[in-house]
Parts: sequence; structure tokens; C-alpha cells
Amino acid sequence: MASKTGFLRKTSPYVREPKAKVEKMMYDVLIALIPVIIFTIYKYEFTAVWIILVSIVSMVGTEFLYYKLRKEPFTMKNGTALISALIYALIMPDVTPLWIVFIGGVFGMYFGKLVFGGMGANIFNVAGFARVFIVISFGAFLVYDVDTVAGATALGVVKANPFDMMILGDFNLWNMFTGVGEAGSIGELSGIAILLGGLYLAFRKSLDWRIPVSYIGTVLGLSTIAALIVGAEMTYPLFTILSGGILFGAIFMATDPITSPVTGPGRIYYGFGLGVITFFIRIFGALPEGVVFAILIMNMFVPALDYYKWANSKFTIKSTLVFSVVVLVTVGLLVVGVWQ
Amino acid sequence: MIRKTNQIKTLEELPKSLPTVQITVPEKVYITLMEMRTRKYTLSVVEGDYVKIGQIIGERDGGYFTQPIFSTVSGTVGKVIKKFTYTGKKTECLEIINDFKEEYAERVLERTDEAISKLSKAEIIEIIKENGVKGLGGGGFPSYVKMDTDKPIDVIILNGVECEPYLTADYQAITKDAYQMFKGLEYVMQAMGTKRGIIGVKRTKHALLKALTEVKESDFKDLNCDIIPVSNYYPQGWEIELIKNTTGIKVKPGTLLSEYGIIEYNVTTAAAIYQAIKFNLPVLNRYFTVTGDAINNPCEMTVRVGTPIPHIVEAAGGYSIDGDKVMVLGGPMMGSNLMMDDAIVSITVSSLLLFKPQEYKEEPCVRCGSCVYSCPANLQPVQLMYAAKTKDGDAAKALNIQNCIECGLCSYVCTSKIHLTDFMRKAKKLVK
Ligand code: SF4
Ligand code: SF4
Repeated sequence: MASKTGFLRKTSPYVREPKAKVEKMMYDVLIALIPVIIFTIYKYEFTAVWIILVSIVSMVGTEFLYYKLRKEPFTMKNGTALISALIYALIMPDVTPLWIVFIGGVFGMYFGKLVFGGMGANIFNVAGFARVFIVISFGAFLVYDVDTVAGATALGVVKANPFDMMILGDFNLWNMFTGVGEAGSIGELSGIAILLGGLYLAFRKSLDWRIPVSYIGTVLGLSTIAALIVGAEMTYPLFTILSGGILFGAIFMATDPITSPVTGPGRIYYGFGLGVITFFIRIFGALPEGVVFAILIMNMFVPALDYYKWANSKFTIKSTLVFSVVVLVTVGLLVVGVWQ
Repeated sequence: MIRKTNQIKTLEELPKSLPTVQITVPEKVYITLMEMRTRKYTLSVVEGDYVKIGQIIGERDGGYFTQPIFSTVSGTVGKVIKKFTYTGKKTECLEIINDFKEEYAERVLERTDEAISKLSKAEIIEIIKENGVKGLGGGGFPSYVKMDTDKPIDVIILNGVECEPYLTADYQAITKDAYQMFKGLEYVMQAMGTKRGIIGVKRTKHALLKALTEVKESDFKDLNCDIIPVSNYYPQGWEIELIKNTTGIKVKPGTLLSEYGIIEYNVTTAAAIYQAIKFNLPVLNRYFTVTGDAINNPCEMTVRVGTPIPHIVEAAGGYSIDGDKVMVLGGPMMGSNLMMDDAIVSITVSSLLLFKPQEYKEEPCVRCGSCVYSCPANLQPVQLMYAAKTKDGDAAKALNIQNCIECGLCSYVCTSKIHLTDFMRKAKKLVK
């Protein structure tokens, strides 16, 4: 009973997880961004719509043209370019001129992703890269205007003295969490909308909880220690994580799998590094873009965190020890730094 | 998707439990003359000779792994013909033309319980060796080798965890031959002076737990053997996982189980040990599963060793599609691929899978880490893939590629549908 046609050459395993798909993961991110986008448009109306549209056109358009001109096969279906565009739009200050948004989108997409070889090969988070590109090139245009409609940005105000809770008193924590009444970059206002997206992603297994948990946990821990030392109110740690886009960065940018480490412990270290850099930029430097800088800096350390000579898929006694020492040294530095 | 995966999904259109069909012993059987780890063979019969069931017809030569070759039917010796086997390659096989008299060789006998109780360790090992018993879970490792140690053995573990999806051979065996398994276990414990036995089966397989417990209660009250249910995940059947979950002992990959005082056998191997010691019988039949979406009647059957695949396909109603298909001997995760159905069932084979071809669109790695989270050997398949691509043997070695058991989970989970397991095989070659 011979078969009429052939038997194919395959190698084991012969089955695959049907749910594991790049598209599914990316579409989940798009869905998770919906609450944030809705809130942003509600708050900034056409300003937000325009920024979002321009950033989509510039980023997705650049990717499209790039592959068209090089006549290489590609797919936009996996949605990675669209995600970068949306995140890029959402980390813009509302005052950004659209032409800057456009130039940043084109340059960011080209130099941040395409020159590396496209999806999967980029070292830097594309949206973050584009954002930093425009800060460096057009910084002067992005001043957070304290007098604009929405009022002062929480971060801009505390620049002078990060622990001055008198000023902070003006910022209602609840408002910061819900996003009703505070200003910053357009997408990072509503803690609730961001957390909603984050929970959805975690539930769908489209994000690794280790990164945001370790990131936010680190910031929370360090700011608590700092608050204890200077005797600031205990609302300060909460204020810290609710301001300056930490939530948004932790959930939508730091978790970008392509630019984060591949092992579980590596992701914890990565989140820790992000938290430390973000926090130190905040108290010693006070750049409003601290989160984005932290992400790009940590992106550079990813190859080191994944380096085969020491990366482990599980925590080992040695790695736990080394990590504990690093944590202690960090806390020590913080204590010394804040005391003066 | 970023997650640890250890459950393998099966095709939904396939029935959950398969009907049993009767299959005749074929007119011709083909006995493999070469097996894993053997290099050459000698035959003690020539074309035209008359042979009986269980008769020794030659020897596969492989030093430590030397093993006798048996006829599994009575009839006339034919030619040496090349057929495909589970290795995926053509292998020399001896054709035997069945006379359907089912006559047993003179060497087949029945030892009394008393005679058996007097057998020494060396004698038991010799009998197991003489009857060519080997790892029937798929390993094909000669069973006597594990016993041939001076290390004290504290526990004998029988592996009844059939962890790959679709496979039911061990399930069938436990429901039908639990008695033989306990007996086999008892003999090995006697030989090794071991006080403790363990049979591990999946917690979800209530019928097996029941069958084993009943036999234990009625016939083996005095045998110190625990039936331990273990959780249902892949690869629970991997000896390192099973040992950890039944005894708590963590075996380091690459070390010998005897160093931990453990011997592990598949349940079917234990039954084969019983047959060898009680009756001097080699393995003649295998419980067998035929399934997949490219076969008409997925079913279970008992197949004589040496049966040609087309005979089995016919008994299962034939192929259900005319076009290309994927044929697998063994499980969907670790089985071997055949590109011709001119193949035969050898002693370690217990399943035939036929699938409609599935194309998976591969994308660049998104570094999701699922492969790292899922690897049961705690490797980093994605990094090993880069090592394989850049032919970096040092990196592959430092990443412990030698611990890879080729379980297939990394390919199974990969978000980008990259065939990582293939890269693992390449990386292994870099180190050797
Ligand atoms: S095939 Fe090897 S590398 Fe892949 S999951 Fe299994 S053990 Fe790990
Ligand atoms: S190889 Fe596949 S599973 Fe592993 S990190 Fe890359 S995309 Fe994820």
C-alpha cells in the first residue's frame, strides 16, 4: 500500500505551539496601548491626534520605503513599526512642533532600526532612540512650558530641589495616578491607563513582568531610602514612580523584548539597572527624559548581561551573591550622595 | 508569547482515546542487523534455513553493546535487504518468511519461581544480556549494562511516564502487563540487593494508577514498591525529571545514575526483563500507536517486531491524504522522520505518526526568551543558535550544549517559529 506522493523531510519536533506568534505578541501591545491613546486624545484632543498621525507616517513610512527601495521582502503585518511609532508619539511633550516629530520619526526608524538590519537586530529601543535624537538635536523646542493650559509638569517643577515637598504638595498623587490634571509627555499622564495596559500584557504573556517589577521596585526602594535620609514625606516614593514617565517606560518601553536580555535573571538585573539610572538622573541631574536615557543606556548593556561566559538561565549562588553586592554598593552610594 | 511552556498541545480533530484494532503477523518480517551503537554483525543462519520464534540468528557487534539477533516469527530465512528504520536511514535487515506455525525455539523455556529465586546477580545479568533486552522507552540502551555495576543500588525506578503527546504504548502495556512489570522489578531488586522500588506514572492517568495499585495489592503485597503519581508535563519522562520528582534526588546531567544509587527502566523494559528471565524470551511484540491527521483510522495495536510499515498503515485504514505528508517513528517531539514508507518496526519503535504538512513562517528572533524559560536542561537556546550560526564552538561549549536532550521544546515554543532544535544539533557538532 504505497503512498502516491512523497514524505517530506522534516526534523523533530514536528509540532509547534499554535499560540506562539510574533504577530500575536505585537497586536497585544497595540491593544494594551488603546487606553493610553484614548486618554491622551481625550486630554490633548487634536494636538495628540496630530502627533500620533505624524509619527505613524514618519516611522511606518520610512520602514515601508526602505524595504521597497531596496526591493527586499518584508512584512509590516507584525506591527513592530506601528508600535514604535505609537510609543514614540506618546513620549512626546505636547508642545513639540510636528516637523520635529516627523524628522525624529524618520531618523529614529532609519538609524535606530533599519541600519541594524531591521526587526530583531536593533540594539536600541526604536521609540526611545528617536526621542533622544530629537532631544539632542532640537532640545530648545521641547521646553515644558509651565504656563500652558495643563499647568506645570511635576518633574519640571521639582528640578530645583527634588525633595521640596512644599512644591510637591501642589501635585495631588491621586490626580497623577488617574492622569486627570497633570502634565508631562502626552502619553505618560494616566497611571491607571498605563497599568491597565500592563496588566493586559502580563495576563496575555506578551510582556515579561520581571522587567517592570524590578524596575519600578528599584525606584520605589531607592526613593524610600532617600526619603528616609532627608526626612521627606513618605508620599515621595509614590510621587517618584508616578512622575516623569517611569510607569510608561517600565511597561511599554523597557519590556521591548528585542532590546532586553533573554534570561530571567538578566531581566531582573536589567530592570534594576534601569531603576538605578532613572533614579540617579532624577535626583542628581533632573532631566525630564531620564527614563528614556536610562532605557537607552541599559540597552547598551544588554549584550553584556547576555554574554555567554556569565549569563545563566536561572539564578545561581554566585550570581545572587554578586547581585547582592551590587545592590548594597548602590544603596551605599545613594546614602553618601544624598547625605551631602 | 513570553512564558515557560511544558504542555504540548495535540491536534484537536484527533480522538482522545484510540480504538484497538487487530493486526495480523505479516508474511515477511525484517530484523534489523544493526542498531544504535553497533558497528557490524555476523549471521549464524543462511538463506533458506528454517528458524523459530526466539531463535538466535546472529550477533550485532559493538564491543560493550554486543547483542544477539532473534527471529520473531517461525519460517524461512530470506535475503539481507536494506530497509528504513527509526534511525531515518537505510539499514541492513534480514528477511524472514513467516510460515505462520508460530513455533518457538528450543531455548525458550519456563523457569520455576524457585529456580529464579536462586539466580545470582551475574546469572540474571547474563540472562538479560542473552535475550537482548534493551531500553524500550526509546533509548535502546542494553538493559544489563545498568545492572553491571559494583555501586550499591538503593532504588530501582520504573518509568511509566509517557510524556510525549499521542503515544500510548506504555499506557497499553501498564493496563495489560502490570503483573509482568512488578515481576521484572522484583527480579532486578533481587539481583541488585535493592530494598526499594518506585513506579512513576502521571497523576492524570487514573486508569494506570488503578491498574498498578490493584496488581500490587493482590500479588505484590510484600514488595517494597511505591507507585508515585507525578505531574503531567513535558518532559516528565526524562529520567532526570522523573528521579527528581519521585525521590528528590537531583542528578547532574552527564553523570551516571549508578553514582546516585539509582537504576531506571521503562515499565515496558521491566516487563521484557520478566519475559527474559521467566521464559528466555526476547521482545517479540510491541504495543503500538498509529495516529495523526494523515491516517484514516488512528488506532492502537500489538505489532510483531520486524513488521513493515505499509502493513501497519493498511491495518489503520491507509493514508487519508494523497499529497505530501510527514511520517514519524516515535513521538512528535523527539521521533525520527522517515522519507519513505519502505520501513520497518524495530524493537524500540512503538508509534507511527502521520501528519499533514504544516509550514511555519519563520521570523527574526524577537528575543522573547521563551526558549530560555522552557528549556528543561536550563540552557539558552537562543544564544546557542547564535553560537551555531557563527560556528563558535567555545561559546556552544560554555553554554553547555552537551546537556541538550533534543527534547524539542525550544522549537515548539519559539515565538518567531525558529527551528531552534536544529540549531542545537548543529551546535553539538561544533563541540564534538
Ligand atoms: S532541545 Fe535542547 S536546548 Fe532545546 S529545549 Fe530541549 S534541551 Fe533545551
Ligand atoms: S529564539 Fe525564539 S523563543 Fe528564543 S528568544 Fe528568540 S524568538 Fe524567543
